[in-house]
Amino acid sequence: MKHLIPCLLFATIAAPALNAAEKLSYNRDVRPILSDTCFKCHGPDKANRKGKLRLDEREAALAKEAFVPGKPADSELVKRLHQSDPDEVMPPPDSVRQLTDAQKKIIAQWIAEGATYEPHWAYIAPKRSAPPTVTDKAWSANPLDAFIRARLDAEKIAPSPEADRPTLLRRLSLDLTGLPPTPAEIDTFVADTSADAYDQQVARLLASKHYGERMAVPWLDAVRFADTVGFHGDQNHNIFPYRDWVIGAFNRNLPFDRFTAEQLAGDLLPDADDSTRTASGFNRLNMMTREGGAQPKEYLAKYTADRVRTLGGAWLGSTLACCECHDHKYDPWGIKDFYQFGAFFADVKQWGVYADYGYSKNPDLAGYNNDYPFPPEIAVESPYLKAREASLRRERDQSAAAAAAKAGDALKAWRTEITTFITANPSGWQSAAVAAPKDDKAGFSVADAVVTISAKRDQDVTLRLTPAPGRVATLRLALARVKDATAGLDPKQGARVELKIAHKPATSDKAHGVSARLSGATVKKKDYRSGAEVLGVQTGWNLTTDMLKQDHAAVWVLDRPLTLADGDTIELTLVKNDLAGVTLSTSPLIPPTLDQPVFDAAWLARTANGAVDDALAYQWLAGTAADQDAFGKLKDLDREIAECRGGMAMTAVTEQWDPIAIRVLPRGNWQDENGEVVKPAAAHFLNQITADKPRANRLDLAQWLTGAENPLTARVFVNRVWAQFMGVGISATVDDLGLQGEWPSHPELLDWLAVEFREKGWDVKKLVTLIVTSKTYKQSAVQRPEILAKDPENRLRAMQSPRRLDAEFVRDNALAISGLLALELGGPSVKPYQPPNYYTNLQFPDRDYHAETDRNQYRRGVYMHWQRTFLHPMLANFDAPSRDECAVFRTQANSPQQALTLLNDPTFVEAARGWAVTLIASGGDDAAKLERAFRTALGRSATAEESGPLLKLLTKARAAYAMQPDQAGALLRTGLAPLPAEDQRVEVAAWTQLCRVILNLHETITRL
Amino acid sequence: MNKTPDPGPRTSDVLLRRAFLSRAAYGFGGLALAGLFGGTASADERWRGVITKPHHPVKAKRIIHLCMAGGPSHLETFDFKQALKDLHDKPFPDSFTKGQQLAQLQNTTLKARGPFTEFKKWGKSGQEISTLFPHLGSIADELCIIRSMHTEQINHDTAHAFMNTGSIIKGRPSWGSWMTYGLGSETQDLPGFVVMTSQGKGGGAQPVSARQWSSGFLPSKFQGIQFQSKGDAVHYVANPAGVDHSMQRGVIDEVNRLNGLLDARIHDPEIATRISQYEMAFRMQTSVPDLTDMSKEPKDVLERYGIKKPGDGTFASNCLLARRMAERGVRFIQLYHRAWDHHGDIEKNMPIAAEETDKASAALIMDLKERGLLDDTLVLWGGEFGRTPMGQGSGRDHHILGFSVALAGGGIKPGITFGGTDELGYKAVDHPVSVHDLHATMLHLCGIDHLKLTYRTQGRDFRLTDVFGEVVKPILA
Repeated sequence: MKHLIPCLLFATIAAPALNAAEKLSYNRDVRPILSDTCFKCHGPDKANRKGKLRLDEREAALAKEAFVPGKPADSELVKRLHQSDPDEVMPPPDSVRQLTDAQKKIIAQWIAEGATYEPHWAYIAPKRSAPPTVTDKAWSANPLDAFIRARLDAEKIAPSPEADRPTLLRRLSLDLTGLPPTPAEIDTFVADTSADAYDQQVARLLASKHYGERMAVPWLDAVRFADTVGFHGDQNHNIFPYRDWVIGAFNRNLPFDRFTAEQLAGDLLPDADDSTRTASGFNRLNMMTREGGAQPKEYLAKYTADRVRTLGGAWLGSTLACCECHDHKYDPWGIKDFYQFGAFFADVKQWGVYADYGYSKNPDLAGYNNDYPFPPEIAVESPYLKAREASLRRERDQSAAAAAAKAGDALKAWRTEITTFITANPSGWQSAAVAAPKDDKAGFSVADAVVTISAKRDQDVTLRLTPAPGRVATLRLALARVKDATAGLDPKQGARVELKIAHKPATSDKAHGVSARLSGATVKKKDYRSGAEVLGVQTGWNLTTDMLKQDHAAVWVLDRPLTLADGDTIELTLVKNDLAGVTLSTSPLIPPTLDQPVFDAAWLARTANGAVDDALAYQWLAGTAADQDAFGKLKDLDREIAECRGGMAMTAVTEQWDPIAIRVLPRGNWQDENGEVVKPAAAHFLNQITADKPRANRLDLAQWLTGAENPLTARVFVNRVWAQFMGVGISATVDDLGLQGEWPSHPELLDWLAVEFREKGWDVKKLVTLIVTSKTYKQSAVQRPEILAKDPENRLRAMQSPRRLDAEFVRDNALAISGLLALELGGPSVKPYQPPNYYTNLQFPDRDYHAETDRNQYRRGVYMHWQRTFLHPMLANFDAPSRDECAVFRTQANSPQQALTLLNDPTFVEAARGWAVTLIASGGDDAAKLERAFRTALGRSATAEESGPLLKLLTKARAAYAMQPDQAGALLRTGLAPLPAEDQRVEVAAWTQLCRVILNLHETITRL
Repeated sequence: MNKTPDPGPRTSDVLLRRAFLSRAAYGFGGLALAGLFGGTASADERWRGVITKPHHPVKAKRIIHLCMAGGPSHLETFDFKQALKDLHDKPFPDSFTKGQQLAQLQNTTLKARGPFTEFKKWGKSGQEISTLFPHLGSIADELCIIRSMHTEQINHDTAHAFMNTGSIIKGRPSWGSWMTYGLGSETQDLPGFVVMTSQGKGGGAQPVSARQWSSGFLPSKFQGIQFQSKGDAVHYVANPAGVDHSMQRGVIDEVNRLNGLLDARIHDPEIATRISQYEMAFRMQTSVPDLTDMSKEPKDVLERYGIKKPGDGTFASNCLLARRMAERGVRFIQLYHRAWDHHGDIEKNMPIAAEETDKASAALIMDLKERGLLDDTLVLWGGEFGRTPMGQGSGRDHHILGFSVALAGGGIKPGITFGGTDELGYKAVDHPVSVHDLHATMLHLCGIDHLKLTYRTQGRDFRLTDVFGEVVKPILA
């Protein structure tokens, strides 16, 4: 177990060893003691201050005669520390925090030296100091190294040698892209003798599109990005384009100041566009509720507080949660600062409860149920979906063309039929004769192909269509405005249209139900399922009174095209009918767009007389189902194409409305209306926003965060990036640079990096390059006794720290090694295998989980569906946060659940299996295969000590599976790939065991 | 207790020793290695909690929380109000409700709803319990009823969070996590904190989130592990299809052997931990099925709990599993029964929820008692809040100002009723007990001073009880 904050070490490592000759630093030596033990009662929090004494400000402490500078013996503070009377001694005996003798001495020495105060280091703008001179010139080229080496030299610890090249490239690849290097990439690097060989690798990996995926993960933690809303029913919301934006922003190296502005204020920028508006989805990542009985006002207060905490965590490295109720106990943040920050978000269009309940009316969201999205949203283009749609179309058309090429005369005959049909029906639609009713009870009449319905609303009406013999691929229903210019039975009401279709052959008494595989309509009231708009009209849809007055048609592509014989009928039942007039028609063709079901004349002419091309092949296959297998594939692909929604996706964004009043809520009580109404403003103890307008906005906030005077943002970000590559921040408390945070191990380095980052244009790739090209970074990760003795947490960086991969990359790495990984960039979240019934405790709506059945099964972890209330067990077991709250570091547990996941989760079993197949196919003897396996997974060769017993396990596994071939079969049914040929199964099953061993190794899931 | 089958040869012990020796030269301390050796789980092998010396005498070694999720009505369980009965269907006095928070009764006219059930005085103690709960009634002398609970959160999700973590800010550890963090585990073969859920058949189910058993900022090994009623009890605990026990052992042996070689090369203490985690994982693969296999439970035991089919995921079946976990040393066991959100049809549905839980709850307590486990097991029965004395159509709305819970076992004074609400059951007025007070009391019974169980993160020390909490001394035995 690695704890991030081993408090004891702070004193020994972060601060240099004390010696009496050296003058104390208030920030480094004294403040941590006072803050930890005294400020709680004698600090910034007015409400809890005891004896009206505050020790966090020198003037105030002097006014109360807390100490006499230069005279510790005469100082009340020192006396109190040494009192034996329990009523007098400080801290009080029942306080959890007590001072050690060494700490008491420090206080006395500090007073002796004049009791000087310094402002807290993190609240003063960072200053660049010149890198120290070090004797080893190799360590002075990169300023980072100079800072590190100078301290190591002072502590008399030698740095570690550079890691060997395979290790170095594996480290760099995993750190920059989250993917392991291929053996070929390692060979190239090892063989490259040029002086800049390493730098070239850095440049190559930074240019990889997978760099953005790697960098996005910690940012998505910080902004609490998830696919669901978190509270109560934890419904889905539409937000994946925001994730794609983050990945893209890192890839195109969007400067961090602009990165900040687009997220906080993408809607307010002068050059706002769909991309910046997508980024503004940041303001919509808070948890939301739709729970019945929730008080809108209470939840608006929760949303505001959540946003302020995230702002504090992601940008300011400050823990602001306590200020929701009271002034901070240690830091100068006050409760008013908290609500002033909250006021920046007062203009974000949102609802406290995303529903319209009788007891909490919400007319904006009338009709919303648990399947509805969380507005406001916009439709944006998704490059992933565009590309996927194009590729699926290609696949579909090529497959249809291949089938058509084999069809010969059948295709010709169909062509003749179609040409005849188009000649007879120039619109592409054949009006369907509706049999006149036998009696008045039918509730409708027919004239000029228009069906006029007289039955009462909500009664079933069945129509019998008698189309001419021939093919029917598509059925069309158009509204006929037969009553007061509306197609509805009641002009004051909308209509629900629900349709049942059946085919009754002339030779049979029974009608068979016919389903539709695709549908569409020119207009419809939108309907949703789990946050996503329902595609087409399915079996039913809703129309408003206005829609009933428009020209409107809906079409259904039948699940299988019908070939009607003479006398066959199609029975159409309008279930609980609300319509007054309809016309019906059929076609042997499929309209190219279902939402506009008209055939273009030129298109029809081509279909009738043009060359046989892919489009025609599609029409033939879809309209005849002549080739069973090809038709089955076409149906699947058509469905998947429809699901690409034309390459467009909805995404939650920030829209502005009139700011709601934000009050200071004493004790965080949302029902308390006595607090002052506040306007947006910066923290009172930092530089102020001086925008010349009545009310500062989110854009001003973004500019304030990344302004030259802001002391926190740059430090906070570079500290986190450092931690990402080194395992621990320069200040270990990456989430808190406040008074309770850790004094940095290398304060000048942290400041140098912060200034460099800001002055070089907030260039993230440049910052990363600086770190990963340093000698500090490139050191070996082999532990040495003298480091362990002097610096067990490796804060001085005399070596690299091994680090277990984060959850997503544990997955990516295994899939990459096995060769299964799908490397497409972006797109909707994906659902890998998950234990069944995991969402049983979710309701509103009930949730099911369908694991992906195509290559989406093997997408990268960053794209996994993030269900806040039930995070995927693999992610949770490897310490990924639920993303309910801003999280800027992940704990690194080492648990039996991790072992069970790697051993038994089907994803990892399938990876082992897939990898075994590849290894066997690549040939060579067992030893050669094992060698390849090691080089692929670990970037190195197996030692004899390693490979000997491994090969024995292989032999044992072969024997076991040869005895029980059914067990081999059972194992190899894991995953999506077809079962290997029977004579291969024992071998694949045996190698799968070996691959499982390698995928489970500590070394495999660790970057050294 | 059933005997665990022999997991096979333990080459790992040899490996661990080798890893240890290779590292000994580097002076690694005993901390990471403590308890890695030895074939069976011994006292040394358990995880150690941060509290090495209890602050108080330990009365309860483990806690079983029977969480009646959705919020059972106190007015039909443990808190009889004649005045409310008399006021039935009449306007609810404004003096009670003015300025108070309501859930679904926002903006409506408030009418009193009298209890629809009878109450009886049970046992020697004469405690008043509704006739919906005859089995709990029959063990009234074992129970301590608190009628003066109150909470701060009026919606399910946040109220559960408050009950579990003492806060509504996400990322705070659940009390089960605090317990295992503080006291460690008594078993090395099972998780220290286990959660099970069941759903009632009479409506009133509300979702419950895995957040409720999250370890928050505490290391994730302290998180609650949810046992599933279908499929593998613990995720990924079963071998892959086509991999038998001996094959799995062979794979793990090689993983551990190679990990030992890596340790000899780079000397990272995480590796020894990794090796021991694989051993524990392997043991769990046997101990979990052994735990959940109730086929050897005698018929009369099943009958006593009201179990039709062991392992069917009902509350009754989960109660029996809870006893088996208690026997095996699981520290904190939490059973959610999602059934109590009776906004409507309370007269029809609450009796169903009561029937689903009454018999099994009582059976669990008495079964523990007969096995000598009740002395050091604390059982808590209750929901995340109560329900309004005002009617909401045919039901009751959420209510936070007064509700009841029942306790039994580990250091609790049996056969007493503590505290009370006003005459209409609206507000806790006699010795109000906050959620923080309940937490402080439960920690106290476990030997922990709630002020001293802290974890430092985000620049300060956090406690389960935040900055509140008073031990409710009168209910201590």
